[in-house]
Amino acid sequence: MRIEKCYFCSGPLYPGHGMMFVRNDCKVFRFCKSKCHKNFKKKRNPRKTRWTKAFRKASGKELTVDNSLEFEKRRNIPVKYKRELWNKTVEAMKKVEAIKQKRQARFIMNRLKKGKELEKEEAIVEVKKNIHLIRAPHAGKAKQLEEKMVQKLQEDVEMDD
Amino acid sequence: MAHHSGTQPEFIDITLSKTQRKTPTVVHKHYQIHRIRHFYMRKVKFTQQNYHDRLAQILADFPKLDDIHPFYADLMNVLYDKDHYKLALGQINIAKNLIDNVAKDYVRLMKYGDSLYRCKQLKRAALGRMCTVMKRQKQSLEYLEQVRQHLSRLPTIDPNTRTLLLCGYPNVGKSSFINKVTRADVEVQPYAFTTKSLFVGHMDYKYLRWQVVDTPGILDHPLEERNTIEMQAITALAHLRSAVLYVMDASEQCGHTLEQQLALFNNIRPLFANKPLIVVANKSDVKKISELSEENQACDKLLTHRVDTKMKGKKVHDVLNRLHLAVPAKRDEKERPPFIPEGAVLRRKAMEVDSPKRKLERDLEMELGDDYILDLQKYWDLMNDEEKQDKIPEVWEGHNIADYIDPDIMKHLEDLEKEEDLKEKAGEYDSDSESEDEEMKEIRQLAKQIRDKRKLKVLESIEKDVHGPRMPRTSKKVDRTTLEKEMGDLGLDMSNKDDSHYAEKARRSRSVDRKRKREPSEPPTSRTRSQSASRPPRDKSGVRDAKMLKKVKTMMKNSQKGMNRQGKKGESDRHIVDLKPKHLLAGKRKSGTNSRR
Repeated sequence: MRIEKCYFCSGPLYPGHGMMFVRNDCKVFRFCKSKCHKNFKKKRNPRKTRWTKAFRKASGKELTVDNSLEFEKRRNIPVKYKRELWNKTVEAMKKVEAIKQKRQARFIMNRLKKGKELEKEEAIVEVKKNIHLIRAPHAGKAKQLEEKMVQKLQEDVEMDD
Repeated sequence: MAHHSGTQPEFIDITLSKTQRKTPTVVHKHYQIHRIRHFYMRKVKFTQQNYHDRLAQILADFPKLDDIHPFYADLMNVLYDKDHYKLALGQINIAKNLIDNVAKDYVRLMKYGDSLYRCKQLKRAALGRMCTVMKRQKQSLEYLEQVRQHLSRLPTIDPNTRTLLLCGYPNVGKSSFINKVTRADVEVQPYAFTTKSLFVGHMDYKYLRWQVVDTPGILDHPLEERNTIEMQAITALAHLRSAVLYVMDASEQCGHTLEQQLALFNNIRPLFANKPLIVVANKSDVKKISELSEENQACDKLLTHRVDTKMKGKKVHDVLNRLHLAVPAKRDEKERPPFIPEGAVLRRKAMEVDSPKRKLERDLEMELGDDYILDLQKYWDLMNDEEKQDKIPEVWEGHNIADYIDPDIMKHLEDLEKEEDLKEKAGEYDSDSESEDEEMKEIRQLAKQIRDKRKLKVLESIEKDVHGPRMPRTSKKVDRTTLEKEMGDLGLDMSNKDDSHYAEKARRSRSVDRKRKREPSEPPTSRTRSQSASRPPRDKSGVRDAKMLKKVKTMMKNSQKGMNRQGKKGESDRHIVDLKPKHLLAGKRKSGTNSRR
């Protein structure tokens, strides 16, 4: 039993799901759902269809080159079963998965950092332009003015004295 | 022969009906004479043409005995009698010429026909004569038809190619032999003269095609007394350049002794001149050569044990002369025997001993009966035998374990973890410790407020009724509380504004038109009204006490809950406000199905 990859969206294809299409040149295409299948029949390029994994990798939105990704590779030469090797592999898989996820998350975060800068700048600009919607221009100024006047009067009185 | 000579009445009928159909049929007395003449001349000529063509066809299609291979000429002579054949064809030829002459004469006569009647009679005479001529040919045509049919069924014997000829007494096994050697299917029966004519089969030997000709049996009497069937065999013998296989019956099952067979052999010997000869002793399974008595020693010298397909024709010798088998010459005394692998030797020994070497799965199945479980994993070739019965995991959390299997996986994992440690130390995974200062936080908050306020303003402006009557701003009275609230939100200090000018103004203007407070209505005075008043109100009738009243009220409210929540007017309100809800039908096709649509 093997979990295949959908040709179009690169999603997982569990047994009993999806469709398989075999072309005349013996190339096999598997699809996870009719959405992918229909897109394929419309001859759409998965590298240009925004919601697919292929697009995300091709346009650099996701981590593509990394050592942790080299572990999962389809090998054509089968290895004879050895219990300890299999056990070790399963444990290694878990660790590799953890590292892989960490790195992928980091990659995306780095990508989105730039957005934060832009957000900051936007906020500053917004406040500068439209502060009048929430603050009256002379919001605290009336009191200030009063206090100033009081102060001035006091000073005048003092001066008179 | 494309079409057959036809039975007699048919021939004439066909031709006449053809004339009838293919020539114009209408002619009248009052036509011009040349037209009438032309009409009838056409008919005469047409009939003559037809007869001529058909007879010429027949003559052309039948082979001329002088032009064909002497073997076939002889065969035809044997089968159909040369003289008769030639005579028949000659008659046909004569008939053809006669018809031509008849037509010529009558066409000439027609030129002098001066009326329709005369021309018609001439035409009738001409056609009649032609048909009489044809009627006289009935016999010849019948004979030729028979010849044609028989001729078409003759086997195609190529006289020039490699041939093997089987001859001998009847019933010696010539047909059986040809059945075995080629794909021919000749009738084999216990009585003599089963084969009545020549049969041909083909076989391959040394990548060449060989004809094998089976003949009817020949009896031993002089040439003149031979019948047609035997003559066919003789003809074949005489004319075909082939290798001759004289088949003898060693067991004398054919009904003739070996001496008789030998006598026959000597008789037809002259026919074997210039042909390679092989004498075949057949039916040796019945009686082996060794069992023959001493009288037949002479035969032994002639006999060879050839029941398989090793024939020698002249041509084979030619080929053999050109072939040469190269054998490596011995260069030293070292023995170089052929190499037989050990496994092959063992297997051969095992085959000879003929005993089962190992316990088969089937045997195990029979032993265990119902308990038997087919366990193919026990045949696996693994490093440790205890692991054979393991259940091997294949998938973990959406990943195939087979994709990760690598003998060096631990090493790679170590490298990866080291790398990861380095990265962590370098601070790649530190969360954004850039704590924003207070100012930035405040700015963000303000920006958020601004955005919210803007959205609200936009919504308000959308809700405004711009298309209705537009009232000036002054028509609306500004409420003091709203004004103070708004200005307070904007940050101005709105407390103690009682003596502000707008408050004063409001007090002064409003004092005049203040509404009178309403008093509660008085109960009705008339009797009917009072009766209705004395009757308990509906929601209190039938209710014993306050507790029951409360319960009743809650029940009422409960039953109305559902309806109210759905905004229904009452229990009979089935109106559907939104037949095509947007949240179900709109939007992009995300991961999932189409079943909701």
